[in-house]
Amino acid sequence: MNSIIEKTVNFENTRRMILLRVLLVPFVAVMLVFGTLIYYFATNLSGQVSARLAYLAEGQRNLVEQFLLERSADLRYVAASSSLSELSGNGNIKAEFERLQNLSRGFLDLGVFDAEGNHVAYVGPYDLEGKNYAQAEWFKRVQNEEIFISDVFLGYRNIPHFVIAVRRFEGERPWYIRATIDTFFFNDLVENVRIGKTGEAYLVNRNGIFQTRRRSGGNLMEDDPDYIAYQVNQKQTTSFAADDRAGARHLYAVSRLEPTGWLLVVRQEIGDAYAPLLRAVLIAVGIILAGGVAVVTMGFFLATGVSQQLTMADMEKKRMGSQLIMAGKLAEVGEMSAGVAHEINNPLQVMKSEEMLMKDILADIEANGPDQAENFRMLRNSIDQMGAQIDRCGRITQGLLKFARESQTNIQAVDIKTLLPEVIALVERRAHVENVNILQEVQSDLPPIKSDPGQLQQVFLNLINNAMYAVSKMADSGEIRLTAAQEGEDVIISVQDNGCGILPEHIEKIFLPFFTTKPVGQGTGLGLSTCYGIIERLGGDISVSSEVNVGSTFTVRLPISGSPGGKTRSWLNAHEQGGIPK
Amino acid sequence: MNSINLLLVDDEEQFLSTAKRLMEKRGVSTFVCTNGFDAIRILKERRIDVVLLDLKMPGINGVEVLRKIKQNHPDIEVILLTGHASVESAVEGLKLGAFDYLMKPSTIPDILDKVRDAYERKVAKEEKARKSKVENIIRHPMAVFDKEEE
Repeated sequence: MNSIIEKTVNFENTRRMILLRVLLVPFVAVMLVFGTLIYYFATNLSGQVSARLAYLAEGQRNLVEQFLLERSADLRYVAASSSLSELSGNGNIKAEFERLQNLSRGFLDLGVFDAEGNHVAYVGPYDLEGKNYAQAEWFKRVQNEEIFISDVFLGYRNIPHFVIAVRRFEGERPWYIRATIDTFFFNDLVENVRIGKTGEAYLVNRNGIFQTRRRSGGNLMEDDPDYIAYQVNQKQTTSFAADDRAGARHLYAVSRLEPTGWLLVVRQEIGDAYAPLLRAVLIAVGIILAGGVAVVTMGFFLATGVSQQLTMADMEKKRMGSQLIMAGKLAEVGEMSAGVAHEINNPLQVMKSEEMLMKDILADIEANGPDQAENFRMLRNSIDQMGAQIDRCGRITQGLLKFARESQTNIQAVDIKTLLPEVIALVERRAHVENVNILQEVQSDLPPIKSDPGQLQQVFLNLINNAMYAVSKMADSGEIRLTAAQEGEDVIISVQDNGCGILPEHIEKIFLPFFTTKPVGQGTGLGLSTCYGIIERLGGDISVSSEVNVGSTFTVRLPISGSPGGKTRSWLNAHEQGGIPK
Repeated sequence: MNSINLLLVDDEEQFLSTAKRLMEKRGVSTFVCTNGFDAIRILKERRIDVVLLDLKMPGINGVEVLRKIKQNHPDIEVILLTGHASVESAVEGLKLGAFDYLMKPSTIPDILDKVRDAYERKVAKEEKARKSKVENIIRHPMAVFDKEEE
């Protein structure tokens, strides 16, 4: 049925509405919550990562710093405990060197120099004794400072190394003691730091030259191409993210060494540093996506289910509606039959008395002979009267039958001009008894409409009955005015009474099934709801206006074509099954 | 036996004329009218013993007419005539003091019997009232004064 298809479209909207409002909106809220959580979690975790890196850098710096200070102290001790001549003496320096090596394996060799820079004594793997270091960078520096720790340089031995030199005065003459630090040993101090896959630590001097090897590329004494990225001047350890020359983003923690001004750099590729964070975020996003898919799927099924149930409920409602119309009709038939019995009993009473009269007359004729013109005239009168009363009964029963016969929708051309008088004929007698005057104002050229005459009869009979009831509650004589006129594509039929009217609080409910203001046993409350159902089915509508103690007007609008918007037409055609003259 | 004075109230004129003819033939003085107002007027003007009253009539309905009759003429017996399928209004009528009710259609002999019963009761009631009044005065002559004093 078309009308059901049309309803289904409406439920499609309902489904979309459920999906959008009931599911998507909470889903967005959940997303926001998740997003916020992830944001704070990520911020917190990245803070933790850089803090850890900074902590590591600081620890490592302390370690290196301490190593350098300890070695410096060792040398100063050696310088303080001996004189130049003692150390220059054979074998003495060797003993001192062994003592130093016992303190730390970081010492590679040891040498003593006079004020002019001549290497006066040496112990170590290289043959450096007798060489003059007056032009060496470290020698120039140590002449002005009590202690000097050099950057890594090549020197005479042509191998990268760095030295710690100490100045000592004997009287006015200074002399110097110098130790080389084992590069590999020193390297190990820093290089052994490993964080994740790419985390590394290294030292650069103030000019960005590597003082230790860098695992990710960069040998001793080479320029660090990335130095520009992390050049800092603060003394505190700082951590930040920066791109290296190759474009790979690293997380840095940088700390400056006090004695040499070197930078201890701890760095890790950002992806590696944030790997746990990334994993957590990925898991969270995965959960959100999976959850979202689950929610949307569930929502889809839910919405489909609801719309299906609505469709079912709608069909059920339609079925109930038609059942209600039938029930209303049956109730009406019951109510009418009571009225009809009353109506028929009156002519029967007349006939009964006529019968008695005829018997009396016949007895008279039998007693006094046939020649009694007056008696025959009376007899004929009585017989005529009987005939008239029988016709009256016939009209009453016919009206009832006409009302009760049609139960299925039967669309045909209906002439309101003849339909209304037929309905009025059904109630005329009662109207007369109750002093109600029924007026008709039907437009003379009213076109016939496509509709169901039986059902329309039911509707108007009901409206007139209601009007009659409303009028009967008033003391004055009542009046019911029926008007029918064309208005555009519709025919407007109104039933107006000057009865008791409808209370404002009732007017909204009067079309509801089983709503009635009549005393128990006198009304079923089905009449108007049935009317409403019928008129709606026939493509029209019914409305009411009323004023208490003044009267009510029920207005029925019916389409002449019987098909508003075409949908009713096809629905009706399906029921016509031919046989109706065009 | 005196002639019964019957008043027929019904909106079926044909029934009224035929019934009047038949009743008069059977020795009942019959008056007719088609509505309650006329009935009340006639009751004021004439001595009526029994009223046969249709319950459903235009204007003022049977039960209202009955109530008025019992108010103004408590001695007059009223028989209700109803065509209504339910007996509710008839029962209501009996509560208001109607003698009995008849369902339409009823035969003229049935109606006549009922009218006679009603008339007899009316006569009997009147007789009884008269007798008890007389007896009361004979037995307790002072009672007349007692009652008046109260």
